[in-house]
Parts: sequence; C-alpha cells; structure tokens
Amino acid sequence: MNLFRSEEHIARWLGGREPGATTSVATLCELAHAWWDDRVSPEWQPHTREQNQAILDRLGLTGPFWQLA
Amino acid sequence: MDDLDLRRRTYGHMVGHGRAPRPEELGDPAEVLAGWRRLHDAHALVLNPATDEIRMLNPFSVVPTAYRVHARDRWWYANCAWDALGVCAALHADGRIETSCPDCGEPIALEVRGRQPDDDSLLFHVLVPAAHWWDDIVFT
Repeated sequence: MNLFRSEEHIARWLGGREPGATTSVATLCELAHAWWDDRVSPEWQPHTREQNQAILDRLGLTGPFWQLA
Repeated sequence: MDDLDLRRRTYGHMVGHGRAPRPEELGDPAEVLAGWRRLHDAHALVLNPATDEIRMLNPFSVVPTAYRVHARDRWWYANCAWDALGVCAALHADGRIETSCPDCGEPIALEVRGRQPDDDSLLFHVLVPAAHWWDDIVFT
C-alpha cells in the first residue's frame, strides 16, 4: 500500500504483476480518517466487517477487489 | 484486566511514550503476553511471531518503515501509506508524511492539514485484494 508520483511510476513498479487498485490521495485521506479515527480512543470497540465494508462502499471503493471477504 | 482494557492500555502507552510497551510495563508479563496473543488473533494488534514483541499497533508501526509521520511533536513510523495518513487520523492531528516513490526512489512529502492532503497529484496503489489483506499483513 504505497504512494506513487503517477500511473507511469505504478506501472513501472508493477513490472509484469497484475495491478491492484489505485485511488487519489484525497480518497486515501478520507479512507484513513474513516478507518482509523477512533483507533486510540479509550472507547474504541472492534469494527465489524460490515462497518468496514460500509466505509469502503461510501468512498466508492466497490467491486470484487474491495470485498473484505 | 480484560483484552479490551489491555488493548486500550497498550495503545495508550504507544501514544504517550512514542513506543510500544514491554509486557512488564502493563502487568504480569505472562498475562499480558497471553492477552496480546488473543488480540493478535483478533487482528487488534500484530505480534512478531518469533519473539512475541509487538510489531504493529495499526496504524502505528513499532519497527522502522519507509513511512515516517511527524504529528503531535513526534516522529512515528507507519506500516504503509494508508496507515501513515491513519496516524494523523488516529491522533486527530495535522502531520507531515515522508517516504519515497517505490519506483524511482525520489522523496515524497505530504502535509495533512485539517484532514486534507496538500498534494493531490499523488496516487495510492493497493496491490493485494481486500479479502487477502490479513493473509500476510506485513506484506500487505
């Protein structure tokens, strides 16, 4: 799960490997805040798979690649 | 001390001291290690299987990585790009992320202010499908 300068850099880094998924850093930032916002809170409770899937769905990260199970 | 309380105290130590606790800093070492193993199995933290030391308190990395984050007047390591932004999110803080492009090796720096990144040109790539993230979380 890495940051790259451009699609060209991703393609070169992949070599012959199958690409995964690419998003903007703005989407990543929204995802990070939705996913990790409560992580150090004393009231933290484990997220269910459904809660995590809903975060991905809300950000448009849908389709087989983004299915948690 | 139940497992959620152990987890809360483990994360509290990380945030307060900038490093993961040793078992004896949280209580009876055998009890703490047993609790950490249960939390590892529940994906609530990640242990080094060879040593039982904490490897990840996601989004924080306990060991040095390619993702460094400056937030709340301290440098942290994150496990990946997602976690690097996650450190700012978890600390509810602005921050600066420093890494390098895995392709060309050029430095990348990203500032997060008010939950917004300052460079929209960067891209985030995930190689492993979501269903397999925990097959090998260190690789993911």
